Amino acid sequence: MSRTVSDPLVRLQGIVKTFPGVVANAGIDLAIFPGEVLALLGENGAGKSTLMSILAGLYRPDEGTILFGGERVELRSPRDAIHRGVGMVHQHFRLVDSLTVAENILLGWREPRFLLDLRSSAAHVRRLADQYGLEVDPAARIWQLSVGERQRVEILKMLYRNARVLILDEPTAILTPQEVEQLFRAVRRIRNEERAVLFISHKLDEVRAIADRIVVLRAGRVVGQSSPQASPRDLAQMMVGHDIPVAPKRHLPPGAPVLEARGLDVHGDRGPLAVRGVSLQLRRGEILGIAGVAGNGQRELLEAIAGLRFPAGGSLSFNATDIASLTVRDRWVRGLAYIPEDRLGQGLVGAFTVTENAVLRDYDRPPISRGAIFNWTAAREKAETIVNAFHVHSASLQVSVRHLSGGNQQRLLFGREVLTAPVVLLAMHPTRGLDVEATTTVHRLLIDLSAAGTAILLVSESLDELLAVSDRIAVMHRGRIVGVHPTTEVSRAEIGLLMTGSAPS
Amino acid sequence: MAGAAPFPEWLEVVAIRGGAGMAALAVGAIFLAATGHDPWRAYREMMIGALGSPFAIEQTIIKAIPLMLTGLGVALAFTMGLWNIGAEGQLVAGALAASWLALTASLPTLVMLPGLILLGAAGGAAWAFIPAVLKTFVGVNEIISTLMLNYIALLWVDYMVFGSWADPTAFSFPYSRPFPPQAHFPVLLGDIHIGLVLALIAALLLAGLLQRTHWGYEIRTIGASLPAARYAGMRVRRNVLLVMAASGALAGLAGVGEVSGVIHRIQQGISPGYGFTAIIVAWVARLNPWAVILVAVLFAALLNGGFVIQTAGVPAAIAYMIQALVLFLVLASEHLLRRVRRRRALSQTRAALQVGR
Amino acid sequence: MRTALRLTVAIVVLVLVGTLAGPGTAQGKHKVAFIYVGPVGDAGWTYQHDQARQYLEQTLGVETKFVESVPETAEVARVEEQFIRQGFTVIFATAFGYQNFNVQVAKKHPDVHIIGIGPAIGLAPNVKTIYGRIWEGRYLTGIVAGKMTKANTIGFVAAHPITTVVAGVNAFALGVWSVNPNAKIKVVWTRTWYDPPKEKSAAKALLDAGADIVGQHQDTPSALQAAAEANKLGIGSESNMQRFAPSAYLTGTIWDWRQIDAGIVQGLMSGLFKSEDYYGGLVDKVVSLGPFNPQVPPDVQALVDQRQKAIVAGTFQIFKGPLRDQSGKVRVAAGKTMTLAEILGFNWLLQGIEGQSPTAK
Repeated sequence: MSRTVSDPLVRLQGIVKTFPGVVANAGIDLAIFPGEVLALLGENGAGKSTLMSILAGLYRPDEGTILFGGERVELRSPRDAIHRGVGMVHQHFRLVDSLTVAENILLGWREPRFLLDLRSSAAHVRRLADQYGLEVDPAARIWQLSVGERQRVEILKMLYRNARVLILDEPTAILTPQEVEQLFRAVRRIRNEERAVLFISHKLDEVRAIADRIVVLRAGRVVGQSSPQASPRDLAQMMVGHDIPVAPKRHLPPGAPVLEARGLDVHGDRGPLAVRGVSLQLRRGEILGIAGVAGNGQRELLEAIAGLRFPAGGSLSFNATDIASLTVRDRWVRGLAYIPEDRLGQGLVGAFTVTENAVLRDYDRPPISRGAIFNWTAAREKAETIVNAFHVHSASLQVSVRHLSGGNQQRLLFGREVLTAPVVLLAMHPTRGLDVEATTTVHRLLIDLSAAGTAILLVSESLDELLAVSDRIAVMHRGRIVGVHPTTEVSRAEIGLLMTGSAPS
Repeated sequence: MAGAAPFPEWLEVVAIRGGAGMAALAVGAIFLAATGHDPWRAYREMMIGALGSPFAIEQTIIKAIPLMLTGLGVALAFTMGLWNIGAEGQLVAGALAASWLALTASLPTLVMLPGLILLGAAGGAAWAFIPAVLKTFVGVNEIISTLMLNYIALLWVDYMVFGSWADPTAFSFPYSRPFPPQAHFPVLLGDIHIGLVLALIAALLLAGLLQRTHWGYEIRTIGASLPAARYAGMRVRRNVLLVMAASGALAGLAGVGEVSGVIHRIQQGISPGYGFTAIIVAWVARLNPWAVILVAVLFAALLNGGFVIQTAGVPAAIAYMIQALVLFLVLASEHLLRRVRRRRALSQTRAALQVGR
Repeated sequence: MRTALRLTVAIVVLVLVGTLAGPGTAQGKHKVAFIYVGPVGDAGWTYQHDQARQYLEQTLGVETKFVESVPETAEVARVEEQFIRQGFTVIFATAFGYQNFNVQVAKKHPDVHIIGIGPAIGLAPNVKTIYGRIWEGRYLTGIVAGKMTKANTIGFVAAHPITTVVAGVNAFALGVWSVNPNAKIKVVWTRTWYDPPKEKSAAKALLDAGADIVGQHQDTPSALQAAAEANKLGIGSESNMQRFAPSAYLTGTIWDWRQIDAGIVQGLMSGLFKSEDYYGGLVDKVVSLGPFNPQVPPDVQALVDQRQKAIVAGTFQIFKGPLRDQSGKVRVAAGKTMTLAEILGFNWLLQGIEGQSPTAK
């Protein structure tokens, strides 16, 4: 193609960007040529979004230079960037709901300077929309539009501002397959006008479908370039750095029941019952997965079992004793561990150090505290044990955990909860927001733990996850368990139907 | 990067804070000069008045005592995320409780003094306990309730000093009768009363409590993240009650110090807003008990200096303006400090992870 | 950064050296300090004391200094000590509430003379208090109000229910009734000396309640201004408040400390000082009247003048029995005259005055 002979539109050289506790970009070189769709591929946390935010003027790099047509430029703001022809469409749209499409497109732009001629602007917007196949009514108000239409408005906004480099950050995550096709058509038209489109994604098939060139990032560095013809397996390996391990499935004979709920009713935050008559049995050494669309009572169920929420009815027994009246702390002491959904707000204290977080559960009992006195040495020892055993990467034990990456936070939380080999572990969305590698680690930890005898109740939105690690899968719908099946005897489609509540149970 | 080791962090902190103070004085000097006053002389008087003689230092320390105690109380409550802005009222409640004992009971010194201290602390604690109960059981926001109770306490003083405690020799002026000598706090040096010892002990206990006990860990956790505290099974309600009461008790002690250590009676205006200044003291001290002690002394110096600067012919309004400038710029420098800390955290991270070139 | 640090250190050192090495002020004549409870401003109690201070500078050539807005707490002791350290030998501490601290400080510095505001709670050989029979002036303004009211209702905005204020309210009422026995008098306590919005809203309340003249014992012209805005009339207090509301200002009481302060300082210059609880009044002009509004007819002015002369001459007593309190109880029997000590013990309002009794809580 022509890119080998033309000069790059933009060249990034040696970009370094650090956040407390994290190096997001560790010296990245990247050239962007006119007339190409360049895909940036990488796991969560690989540094793609940071790099693009630097190019779009949102962050300033700690080191490195940005060259536009050979001229060194400092981008102080998104406004600077758009004046240089760089426009970014973020995952979260920046649109004013109550204004029209045309008004949103004009908002904050330098032209017109004084008088707003909405009619001619609307005509201009309509022309652009036709030209690129981004159908949207300029007079419609944002709140009336679908998510896909809103994305088109964002793209039109950048085209109206004559962006030469268009950055799309995970643009397909929110689109239907039809909308993805439409988006891809528009992207190709934009590319064909000697503009460049930067496409950020971690979805291999899409990247292979749309990109002219693929650059793979890992841990803040460029680890490779590839053509879209590369095999998905090669790309994945480049992304992750090694073969993706497949979680080993194993089938142990079921142990004795350790947790049993009968006819459990639990109120939700707003009053009405969120859990209705749930009965379930969890046996030693098994992983019981709970599938379901978020908000169907999963959280309330786990909180009731953990002791954070008192059931309105039903019974709850743990190791054959009634625990319904025990506090969360008493339950923890008896071996009931809990990894809550809200990692940094509930399971960990963001402002606290690694050491302080390591003892959140046992801060007032030996060896951490003797009498009223808190023993920092013992606390540090415990933190060190967790950090070493669960590979928590932290500059020191004194770092606030909010500065750790999501994976490290989760390993710390996980380590704290399972260090004492609990009888039962409740885990809610333990891999949400984690990259492939961290996810795999968590899966392995869960499996190892269950092999050691812990019974695990795993709530997840990911069917893949549930199918990979669970021995049995229960489905929750509107506060009820609508089916429990051994993983080996249920299909993805059956679970999907149960989740929507459309199958008879 | 590694070679550019800058001077130590504490020095940078001191330089930024000091720089902010200097900048405030520089701006103040411009105002002084513009209004026809000699800035150099004004500042000299201010320094002398605040710290320039044994007498001035003594007076500054006396003024710092209530700021220390209320500042510690407020810092404790803030640490747990409780917005106790009622230290003023709790101070007054403590003073009222102690005054009741001093004016109505005839006791030997050895009984009277511990009695005053205990009763004063209890008075402040009780006053803070009201909003704590309202918050815990009815869900009333403590910002509103503590603030409102300030006015009730102040009006209560009016009621007492115009009424049954009124000094019959004072022509109905709002004073109580003087305390009997047994109810006077012993002095340490000059007029510095034992309230200073109470404040230092309080700081020691508070620092120990927060950093070296599991109750302190609980308080800090509740302050940092309520869901995490509930998750860990901490008894939040009980702690709200206890911490508010302890916070109020400290403010109450400040009140005892003022009536028994300084004025030797109760009257209107026993506190020129110590309980409110305490909020700023606690904030500037970043809720650290020892820093509260230090900041309280600096604040007291600033307040005393503000009166003295008038003897250089500077009107009170400009004196207050200079005080406000110092305060404003010191608080503004906190922003700069945060950036410095962040930069340090970054360079440490990069050094630790060995990236860059 | 490093340079900035060095600079900072240098400045700190310089300031410290400069302040500590500063020489005391030269010894010599008396240096006179004034401590004010409020800002000097342009009217009111403190303003009048500052007039006296300026008068001292002009007539006696003494050096003076003042500190304003000093609360009636231990703060005043600090300020006094500070003045003494700077070589001041005479201190006028111009608020009643400073007295306790005056005595404390004076005992530590026997060579310094402190003049407080009476009535005296306690004295020391080097402490004196001064004050005036303000009720004499209030009585005269009451005459004017009683003559000028058309609604036959007169309001009074009073500060704190302390005895000297209560005495003033009672004298004002007696003045009104001496010329207009049927006039109603309503009093509102603000419980503050200085709070313009509060004073104004108290005056407005009285005007709304039907008063067409508002008297006051407050430190600001706010009540007068409220009267002027409502096209009603008012009586000033503390200083000449005519210029703040020329149309509404009928007359008013004025504190004038110039002569008495000058007399004290002159006495000290020749080594004389009398520790006493001094009471001035119309007789020595510590209390005087402001200018009359042109609306006040000459015969009323003449009546006031005549009554003033009688008071000065001692031929007329304001607080003469029978006097009844609000409950109707006879407090001063017929034919009896209240002594100064009794007047200074006033904690009850006369029968016929509408408003909260000073002892009511």
